[in-house]
Amino acid sequence: MEKLLQQASKKVDSAELFRVKSKTVPVNFEVNRLKSIDISESEGKALRVINKGRIGFSSSTGSEGFDSMLEKAAATSEFGSEASFDFPREIKRGGEERKNINIYDKKVEDKSIEEMVKIGEGIIEKVGDFNRKLRCDVTIVKDCNEIEYFNSRGGNFSYNKTAFAYSMMVQQIENQDMLIIYSSIESGKDNLELEELTSEIIENLKWGDKIVSVESGKMPVIFTPKAVLVLILPIISGLNGKMVLKKISPLVAQKNKKLWSDLLTLYSDGTIDFATGSAPFDDEGEEMKRVPLVKKGKIKNFYYDLQTAGIAGAESTGNGLRAGSQSEPAPGISNLVMEEGKISFSEMVKDISEGIVID
Amino acid sequence: MREILEKVLGDKKNKADYIEIRTEKKEVTTIHFQGKKLEKINCSQQTGGNVRALVKGGWGFVSFNQFDDLEEKVREAIEVASLIGKEESKLAVISPVVEIINRKLDKDFRQVSLREKKNLMENYNSIIMKSNPLIQSSNVIYTDRFSTTYFANSEGSYIEQEKPFLGARFTAIAREGDNVQLASESVGTIKGFKTMERISTKAQKAAFRAVNLLKAQPVEGGEYTVILDQTLGGVFIHEAFGHLSESDFLYEDERMSGLMKLGKKFGSPKLNVVDDGSIPDLLGSAKYDDEGVGTKKNYLIKEGILTGRLHSRETAAKMGEEPTGNARALDYRFKPIVRMTNTYIKNGDTPFKDLLSGIKKGIYAKDCYGGMTTFEMFTFSAGEGFMIRDGEIAEPVKDVVLSGNLFTTLLNIEGVGNDLKMIETGGGCGKAGQSPLPVSFGSPHLRIKKVIVGGR
Repeated sequence: MEKLLQQASKKVDSAELFRVKSKTVPVNFEVNRLKSIDISESEGKALRVINKGRIGFSSSTGSEGFDSMLEKAAATSEFGSEASFDFPREIKRGGEERKNINIYDKKVEDKSIEEMVKIGEGIIEKVGDFNRKLRCDVTIVKDCNEIEYFNSRGGNFSYNKTAFAYSMMVQQIENQDMLIIYSSIESGKDNLELEELTSEIIENLKWGDKIVSVESGKMPVIFTPKAVLVLILPIISGLNGKMVLKKISPLVAQKNKKLWSDLLTLYSDGTIDFATGSAPFDDEGEEMKRVPLVKKGKIKNFYYDLQTAGIAGAESTGNGLRAGSQSEPAPGISNLVMEEGKISFSEMVKDISEGIVID
Repeated sequence: MREILEKVLGDKKNKADYIEIRTEKKEVTTIHFQGKKLEKINCSQQTGGNVRALVKGGWGFVSFNQFDDLEEKVREAIEVASLIGKEESKLAVISPVVEIINRKLDKDFRQVSLREKKNLMENYNSIIMKSNPLIQSSNVIYTDRFSTTYFANSEGSYIEQEKPFLGARFTAIAREGDNVQLASESVGTIKGFKTMERISTKAQKAAFRAVNLLKAQPVEGGEYTVILDQTLGGVFIHEAFGHLSESDFLYEDERMSGLMKLGKKFGSPKLNVVDDGSIPDLLGSAKYDDEGVGTKKNYLIKEGILTGRLHSRETAAKMGEEPTGNARALDYRFKPIVRMTNTYIKNGDTPFKDLLSGIKKGIYAKDCYGGMTTFEMFTFSAGEGFMIRDGEIAEPVKDVVLSGNLFTTLLNIEGVGNDLKMIETGGGCGKAGQSPLPVSFGSPHLRIKKVIVGGR
């Protein structure tokens, strides 16, 4: 592959190839029974070139030859954006965040379909013990990925990554009322406990036992970690370096100003062991970091990929992510972390005489 | 391709009740302008395939990009099917077909240079941007895709079908102070690049509508007699009613299948609803669906009575009905599931102006900006709205959100126009993670009483 890229550099200024090979096995239960196992094996590659100072791109799955991809990428470069960066010559982890990030567990890769079926049956049984009349849909998924990256300037990296997830949707229908509860847990490691999932579902079902109507008016509201994303999403989208650059973001000139509560501290952290969005490098060879986005209510950083950072005169924050092998890198969040406060959920609830929990 | 598929199937035939292999190759071009800037231009090629096997009523499915070990994929599909299967396999009987279907295009987009496509879209984009000083930004997204599918099953069918698609979506964003309004127009077709060369009016219309919305006042919420235009009528019948006719969902939902009992009265005798994948040259059309079943005209509602529903081979057999040719897959990564094709309300006999007459205070709702349905409950946002006063179309209004119960709303249709139009957009239909699947929908103008309209 490196050889091909060297050859490519005779036709274009520089080139990079990103390759993903993955296998996903989802074991699906519907209405309390095993329903489907749709195995997906995929392999795709994306070629990005810089040609006469402009960016070109093409992607392919399957057997398309390198030359034909190169030709298309060169053709699109004619209309592409001016490159404000070049591909990294050297790709390695350094600095204070040098530590090795664990994202692969062979035990996940080796997990058999039969074992996954058993886990699903166990989850349904556990929730069924609580209430036989529930409709349970459960999915147990394992996901194995191989990522490879090369560029014509000598930079390269590769890694393997695994993910294992349990998710469940429970439907309870009584008379005219329908209660739907969804929950999921996920890890890169084979360390998930099904009780973690079922106890959350059962607790939720208990909450839903008695239905009351709410009167309009002001009252305190608690957002669970699942629901809080709805509140944070506009901030996250506004901190995207691309949105800032285009001046679409309302946060453009707000860096280091006190905007929100002291209690709000947000990170994009790609260095957490076995978390979904972790990796040694982002999808264009920049080191993944723990990037402080908001600290005590003040914006600390916007997040960038190479190209956007180049135009903005900033450094990439290691947030150049691709939505699969068919797309170019764009600024994205690795793992979104909101720093914990000091009060537990039950203390919050105790504190409120009448309010709402949003899950 | 045929020999390879048939050889693999020949080896494994007796180990499953049914096996099919579907492979696909496609070339895709995408061009995206945002504001004055070319945001993205992209060419990609995809090849891939899948194996689906049925053992004792259980389906195994494996999708892939590499063809080198097809036999192993078949083995894997049979293995997982055996884990799931615990009953008797049921598939409606069809006769095997061998056919190769090529398509003739009105200007083959594969022969059009990237530059020509880019220039055309750039031109549409500048029509939007220059149409009015209040236009602040735009989005022009063009996609073309030429896909060829190869289908073979263990019953001896072999079908090759060419499936072209072209789509363009124009969005105009107008701004006056804090008032920001957005309007979209979209075109989709399987006919060829010629269609794409003739849509400058759509770009103008998007800009015109966005600017017009700046002047519109929020509608006053309440219960109104509403006239839906052909687009909104089409979206309504597809989203609110059509999805409930999909049998894969119906036969597992006792409550809904009770509500969707054949023979039940759904509307006035003027109401006829059809899904037909065999109409030539429409977005949802194909001679065969993705199980190799021929498409045809299926009445869902005839003269106000619920008369049919949409099937795959499996749902048809399980419900003891005829297959309808509605098993469709987005691409090789997905199993075929029951989907609509071209869904429409047939023409009635009332001219548009007669639909208007007698409405003292009502709403004319046009286009669709989005919406959602949960079982029989629906909510749609109109893209454009006008008050109707004393039988005449009056001032524009915005934030027109229609909601209600499908069954009562169908019964409340009191006028069916005579101006059916099929709508083909660059978007598509979504179900079970398979989106956007090309479909078309349509309707004549519809007059519906007692519609709940929420405003701001």
